[in-house]
Amino acid sequence: MTETRVVEAWTLEPLERFVAESGARLTLLMTPAGQVLAQHGFTRAVDVMSAAALGAAIVASTGEIARMLDQTEFAALNHQGVQHGIFLGAFDTPRGGLLALVVYGPDSSAGLVQLFFEELAQGLVAAVPAQEEPKAVLAANFEEELNRSLASLFGR
Amino acid sequence: MSLVNFTTREITCKIVYYGPGRSGKTTNLQYIYGRVPDKRRGRMVSLATQTDRTLFFDFLPLELGSISGFTTRFQLYTVPGQVYYNATRKLVLQGADGVVFVADSQARQLDENIESMQNLQANLIEQGVDARAVPFVLQYNKQDLPSDLILSPDELNEALNFWDVPSFSAAALEGTGVFETLKAASEQVLRKLSQAEPA
Repeated sequence: MTETRVVEAWTLEPLERFVAESGARLTLLMTPAGQVLAQHGFTRAVDVMSAAALGAAIVASTGEIARMLDQTEFAALNHQGVQHGIFLGAFDTPRGGLLALVVYGPDSSAGLVQLFFEELAQGLVAAVPAQEEPKAVLAANFEEELNRSLASLFGR
Repeated sequence: MSLVNFTTREITCKIVYYGPGRSGKTTNLQYIYGRVPDKRRGRMVSLATQTDRTLFFDFLPLELGSISGFTTRFQLYTVPGQVYYNATRKLVLQGADGVVFVADSQARQLDENIESMQNLQANLIEQGVDARAVPFVLQYNKQDLPSDLILSPDELNEALNFWDVPSFSAAALEGTGVFETLKAASEQVLRKLSQAEPA
């Protein structure tokens, strides 16, 4: 079974429902800066980050084109390929804007994905918790571990 | 801003390499990509023109390792340096946790360096970010060129390093200073996560 992984727990239930209903093969929920909040179907974290960076870039650049045309942003984008289609949609939540990148195959369709994307957006808006107070995450003396990790990364 | 998953104990941070055209931002990422083991890096994505000038951005995801029990990942981005790509630079700069400014050490490029630094500050301000509060590192690249063509690190500090941030001499093509620059930027970005911030 393909795994669904979330960074923020409140995104899990709406995302799982969306994947089951739309037949999406891959789904990414991310911020407009390309930070991933949740994903379904990817196997490597680094691939998730690349897909999120590219998805966020597409939405950002079409948003700029919309601004140049003096119109509101494009609601959603769909690219239909031979094997797969890509759907990109943006929506607002009380925690700021979010983007969804959805890859679907012949067992789904742009219409089906669009239909359940709207439900996904509504489900996420309803599930958003209040913003938590920022708190310290790392230990104060993290430098030694950082140095060791970087040395290992660069083979030093 | 950094994303922290307390359930799976993962941190993801975004570092943007900024600077004028042809200063060596992409070369920094290419060197890092070439030195890092396959399993610790993702694919390097380059949205470039046919002549290999960065059109939108370069992107390199890295698995740094475990810090304080958190699997830590970095997303390294470059921006296109040419003046007329400012809209694109603003998009890439969104949500940056740290910035590396790659300056071209050639004396004839000084004006371009200053203009790019001013552009960075303007774009941060436009995004409501206090430029002095962002983890920030300077790299003086191309220090391997003949000394009569380049400015010294001291001269470049005088011209560009208004806030006395860490600065590094580099020759990114051969990798000199690339590691040190990334290390300093990583440390500053993670230091923020080790300090409780006011709401």
